[in-house]
Amino acid sequence: MAEFHLFIGNKCFSSWSLRPWLALKHIGAPFDETVIRLRQPDTRANIRALARSEKVPCLHHGRRVVWESLSILEYLAELFPDSHLWPRDRGARADARSLAAEMHSGFTELRNAWSMNLRRKKAPKLLDGAAQDQAKRIEDYWRRMRAAHGQGGPFLFGAFTAADAMYAPVVTRFDTYGGTLAPETRAYCDAILATDGMRQWYTEAAAEPWPEPNPDE
Amino acid sequence: MGPHGRDFAAAAARGQVAIRVRQGANVAKLTLAIANKNYSSWSLRAWMAMRQLAIPFEENVIPLDTPETARQIAKHSGAGRLPVLHHGDVTVWESLAILEYLAEIFPDTPMWPRSRRVRAMARAVANEMHAGFLALRNACPMNLRRPRKPLTGGLGSDVRANVARIEAIWRECRKLHGRGGPFLFGKFSIADAMYAPVASRFETYAIEVAPESRAYMEAIFATGSFRAWKQDAMNEEWVIPADEVD
Repeated sequence: MAEFHLFIGNKCFSSWSLRPWLALKHIGAPFDETVIRLRQPDTRANIRALARSEKVPCLHHGRRVVWESLSILEYLAELFPDSHLWPRDRGARADARSLAAEMHSGFTELRNAWSMNLRRKKAPKLLDGAAQDQAKRIEDYWRRMRAAHGQGGPFLFGAFTAADAMYAPVVTRFDTYGGTLAPETRAYCDAILATDGMRQWYTEAAAEPWPEPNPDE
Repeated sequence: MGPHGRDFAAAAARGQVAIRVRQGANVAKLTLAIANKNYSSWSLRAWMAMRQLAIPFEENVIPLDTPETARQIAKHSGAGRLPVLHHGDVTVWESLAILEYLAEIFPDTPMWPRSRRVRAMARAVANEMHAGFLALRNACPMNLRRPRKPLTGGLGSDVRANVARIEAIWRECRKLHGRGGPFLFGKFSIADAMYAPVASRFETYAIEVAPESRAYMEAIFATGSFRAWKQDAMNEEWVIPADEVD
């Protein structure tokens, strides 16, 4: 039994689950995982019984139970200071935390319009209104962070951080629905999609035995 | 926090001592740009935690919903959102990110519980508030001036589910970690600042809650920081029609 145990939802569409899973992969800490099938009549009961929580993702560490993707990332950042889940520079760290918090609570229209679905065939799906503004703002953040802090690596703050983990699901959405992307956006998406963690996640998502999500939804 | 830190925080919250100037690395001035105190729940969180924990700062109120608003906010932040904290050349936005930033630069101020295990729970409930409870937030906008009365038309089932979950969180935190004081983790922490706007909504919309929830709300309302904020809100003249619900 590994020191950590992460409870997550279906890899095909649980965007919240991807974030802490990717961070644990980045840290390299061994962990057990339990995938709890979402959208079933007994989903909530299973989450309560297995994860002792109201939601997934949920991390068990000994007797500790930590839920909410961003608080799991903060917890891991404290436990593994050498993995530098937050950037070392204070100003960069402030940017990273702001971006992560905004992703955690915002961009609702975009998330609804482009729901994460790793089974969906890549094809452009146009956005309008608030969702379109949000996609633009995300691309603007990526561009600004890469320009200000991105020397040293292909990620938002150079090396991989918790901010990249928070934006990884939206990367899959740009890849699935975004059509031809601006060159900087494409480069950042490709950097995320090329990580070992993302490749493994996609492989395991493709192998999921359950019918949901429908490839067209 | 030094040996007199707690006394200082209490006295500062009562407005009885001047703000202590901290010398050294953090000496750059902190400026918090916020929105209307009557309506801005996000602003209340950052402001309340700073005031309650005696972190010195200047405030800059930008009224929402005026022809000038967008231009004024843009001066402070590319994000186009409030609250925004400025500290030297660092800019932080999003209430929870601001509070994490302050917890780092004031390590002696007990912004999160000291024990790692308890801190993990405090962060989890703070994040659940940060990202969730949309039904309640949409149906019952924070509006400190609104006369206390139930929402006309009652609460939908999704709002009631939010209320039940929030009460369960409060009960669990108080039961497991609330011994040292009246707040979620005993002493005041960021988690309380995150839930203060919800406590005010329960009050404004006369939402029925369990006695232990009521006691927790009273503890929030009795803080010097909440009272000061509410007083300022009462004195504001701006009205945002969209947030005035019967």
